Amino acid sequence: MAKIIAVTGKGGTGKTATTSLLIRHLTKGDKVVLAIDADPDTNLPETLGCETNKSIGDIKEFMHEERDKLPPDVSKESILEGKLYEILEEMPGYDLLVMGRPEGSGCYCYVNNLLRGIMNKLVTNYDVLIIDAEAGLEHFSRKIFTNVDELIVVTDGSRRGLRTAERIRELVGEMKTDVSNIYVIANKVTDANRERIASTANELGLELIGMIPVDEMIIERDLAGEPLFDLPDDSAAVQEIEKIAQKLGL
Amino acid sequence: MADEYPFEISPMFEGERVRKDGMYAELAGPKSKGFELVRSAEMDDVEDGKFTLIGPDLSDMEQGSRHPFAMIYKIAGELVEPDLESIVERRNHEFQNYIQGFMHLNQRDDIWLRVSKDAVEKGMTSFESVAKAIMMLFKNELPFIEAVEAIYITDMAEIEKEIESVREVYKARDDRTRDLHDEDVDTFYGCTLCQSFAPTNVCVITPDRIALCGAINWFDGRAAAKVDPEGPQFAIPKGETIDAESGEYTGVNEAAKKLSSGEFDRIKLHSFLEYPHTSCGCFEVVGFYIPEVDGIGWVDRDFAGTAPNGLQFSTMAGQTGGGKQISGFLGIGINYFRSPKFIQADGGWERVVWMPKMLKDKVFDSIPEDIRDKIPTEEEAIDIDRLKTFLREKNHPILERWVEEEPEEEEEEEPEVSTPQAGFAAPQMMQAANFMPSMPMMSGGGSGGVKIVLKNAKVSIDKVIIKKQD
Repeated sequence: MAKIIAVTGKGGTGKTATTSLLIRHLTKGDKVVLAIDADPDTNLPETLGCETNKSIGDIKEFMHEERDKLPPDVSKESILEGKLYEILEEMPGYDLLVMGRPEGSGCYCYVNNLLRGIMNKLVTNYDVLIIDAEAGLEHFSRKIFTNVDELIVVTDGSRRGLRTAERIRELVGEMKTDVSNIYVIANKVTDANRERIASTANELGLELIGMIPVDEMIIERDLAGEPLFDLPDDSAAVQEIEKIAQKLGL
Repeated sequence: MADEYPFEISPMFEGERVRKDGMYAELAGPKSKGFELVRSAEMDDVEDGKFTLIGPDLSDMEQGSRHPFAMIYKIAGELVEPDLESIVERRNHEFQNYIQGFMHLNQRDDIWLRVSKDAVEKGMTSFESVAKAIMMLFKNELPFIEAVEAIYITDMAEIEKEIESVREVYKARDDRTRDLHDEDVDTFYGCTLCQSFAPTNVCVITPDRIALCGAINWFDGRAAAKVDPEGPQFAIPKGETIDAESGEYTGVNEAAKKLSSGEFDRIKLHSFLEYPHTSCGCFEVVGFYIPEVDGIGWVDRDFAGTAPNGLQFSTMAGQTGGGKQISGFLGIGINYFRSPKFIQADGGWERVVWMPKMLKDKVFDSIPEDIRDKIPTEEEAIDIDRLKTFLREKNHPILERWVEEEPEEEEEEEPEVSTPQAGFAAPQMMQAANFMPSMPMMSGGGSGGVKIVLKNAKVSIDKVIIKKQD
């Protein structure tokens, strides 16, 4: 069974950067990784330095638009599966799938049901699934992903970021998705806010498993729009991610 | 499975993905060409077990390369007939995925295959071993195949020469399947995907009736039920035909009882007014009876305006949805407009008196020619008065009903005409009657009676005395 890791958090906290650095770590080993961009607002492909054109949203829309024109005798599951394999971006050591745009106003029950079956099959081909997810966790509530081993909430130093972590924990409690562990990673940590973050997390009962310091290299690359995937090993953020990965058993 | 093949064959390899990193060769697929085809033939024309390869073999291919690829299987046997071709063809997908290190995706001229490096290292160096394994599986799993022969093509020119005639075969097959109707099959399909929010919804999918969401047709139902008979789509045996015109079948009625937990026991598949199909909530279009003209209007999800009855899609959908059976309102999938049995119990297209322009354009070709310009849209009629005028001007066939029913109609509908909302009064009353066990009717003979629905009930009774009332 693939280990499923979901990374989420308030917008702007650096969850996509964290996700890509975790993927960077994973592909150094011999694990086969499936990376999923499940936040319509993020840019995981860009951060990884990978170009993608199409998303699951696009193929769902295709299935919706074309459904009356598809050959009656060809199974729609087979068509959807083929389309999904077509948009699966194959990178060295990992594959990338982008969930993409939200659904239109029609009924997507059927196509989502097909998608669930195909995803279940696809997932068995990987050792690790890592999902960059929006804070609303829509794809989880839709059961496109059924269980999560590690749910990681990325926060910045703000109390709001940690509050989001708390809310996500509540949301998970309400959903029928199995989540084994919920952890918090603090990002953009400075000496000035380090202790404060730790005590707030403690106060809210959140398990803090890492504090990524402000990293000049990341700031520069973000400004230039360059990928983070090939950051050097001596980057402060990369080193902290290594420690976090160890704690997560990755 | 057998030692004669240089690879393992097992259903456990289904869904195995060959990634680019681990791929020896890619065959056909989105960046190349190919097809798969099964043809039925006479026994004399098939040399059982023969394999022909046109073009380079696996061992001639470079690691990481891409090639066009086609597979033709000729099958023969006493029971083999052209109708079985597509069923056998579909199994090629399944069987090739049983082979370790072999990935087969899609169907027909969309096929996409990959062979893994591991498989080649372990000895899969020729397509012959693959073809022989597939032929063995065909004969073992589909005993009606008495002889099978395989031709694989990896030569682009040869594939291009064949592909047009192959597409003709697919097209002929599609035309044949599209011509399938309710009377041609003995199984319909049900779907419970919507029951989470419409618990009494009974979705019946037939060749002439697509699911209300518009996403699942009869073939999809058949495909899904075959893979997982206990899944959300399942077979409904048609049973006896009670009335072909309105589409009432014993099997459907039984399924209705079961799926709605006893809420409904009759469903007429092609009826609007009497025992119509239930409406889930996902339906693409809602139909509404307009008593003032004795006709039926339709409004789709994308139409944001107001229908001539003064209501919007969302309002009517709210009233109709949730798995209720409401005469006067009906949710349908857009493709049902294209069905030759479209609400035929209530007059079919001749009963249709209003549609939004976008929807009308979408199904324009399916509207009988003589009525096409007699159905107004929001451009011609936005209220009942203008609707009446338009129908009269165009001499819509609905006018024939007006003459017949004029005197009766006056009495019946008078109180409801003033406000559009009043149109709901009738359906809602009927709804209530369905929910409550009605009082026993003592007048008259033995017909009528009591309907009691018990849900999650525990009943313990010491003694029951039933006496005939004088």
